[in-house]
Amino acid sequence: MGGVAIRVMLSESELIRRILSGERELYYDLIAPYERMVYISAMSLLHNETEAEDCAQDAFLKAFCHLPEFKGESKFGSWLVRIALNEAKMKLRKMRADLYDSLDKATEGEDDEYVPQTLGDWREIPSEALERKEVRELLQKAVDKLPERYRIVFMLREVQGLDVAITAQILGVSKAVVKTRLVRARLQMKDMLAPAVKNGRLFSRHLFKKGKNPWL
Amino acid sequence: MAMTCKEVWREVSNYIDNTISPDMRHELELHLSYCRHCTAIIDGVRNIVVLVADGRLFSLPAGFSARLRARLDKELFS
Repeated sequence: MGGVAIRVMLSESELIRRILSGERELYYDLIAPYERMVYISAMSLLHNETEAEDCAQDAFLKAFCHLPEFKGESKFGSWLVRIALNEAKMKLRKMRADLYDSLDKATEGEDDEYVPQTLGDWREIPSEALERKEVRELLQKAVDKLPERYRIVFMLREVQGLDVAITAQILGVSKAVVKTRLVRARLQMKDMLAPAVKNGRLFSRHLFKKGKNPWL
Repeated sequence: MAMTCKEVWREVSNYIDNTISPDMRHELELHLSYCRHCTAIIDGVRNIVVLVADGRLFSLPAGFSARLRARLDKELFS
């Protein structure tokens, strides 16, 4: 009856303590806020909804089994993300053993300068445009095209909103590396989307009634 | 000793995230006042940062939570 209300009040550490003492069904409450985060982490490597969902489920199963080992040194969310990324890496290794690009070490090219394209004025993509499936797909495809080590940083920082320090901790790299990868990812995203912005593909007349289209 | 375009590109993230020193911000904005290309780059990146943070991108597939619960029920709690 009042159970739900009581559960909402429980802190993460209290939830974990009670799950470990046998109230296993509380696990659903513990993980509910992190479902999207774990799914997005899996998506950042797998690019495929079905694979990512499968991987997210595996990660939640594994996290439950390893819950006694969670010491609270990192945030529970970061711990889950790390498990999800590891699960996704294992899945990837099976899928493309020979093509695998290691996440753990900074690969060559990290110090090269990325030169953004300068295509003149950028016409703003209004957030209303996200109502359109094609716009969402265009953005998601652009993320997919980022090199893996940039893509993961981009997903953790921009999509999930994790800060530089936590992202660095999850990936086991320095904050400077996170910052460098983020700036490259952001510039490359802009360059990939610039042609679509320039030729107007992102602006549909159907989207804005009565010709009100201040971005054109 | 005005900032070059290259120096601006290196600071794009810090500028957008507001983790830049006041001096550097001033220098960068001075550069933007006459460099149309860097202005377009900054506007483009800022626009993408806003769009990507929107929950409508990368949303959970419909039925995700129910399927997750069913799998956990089956493998952990049955």
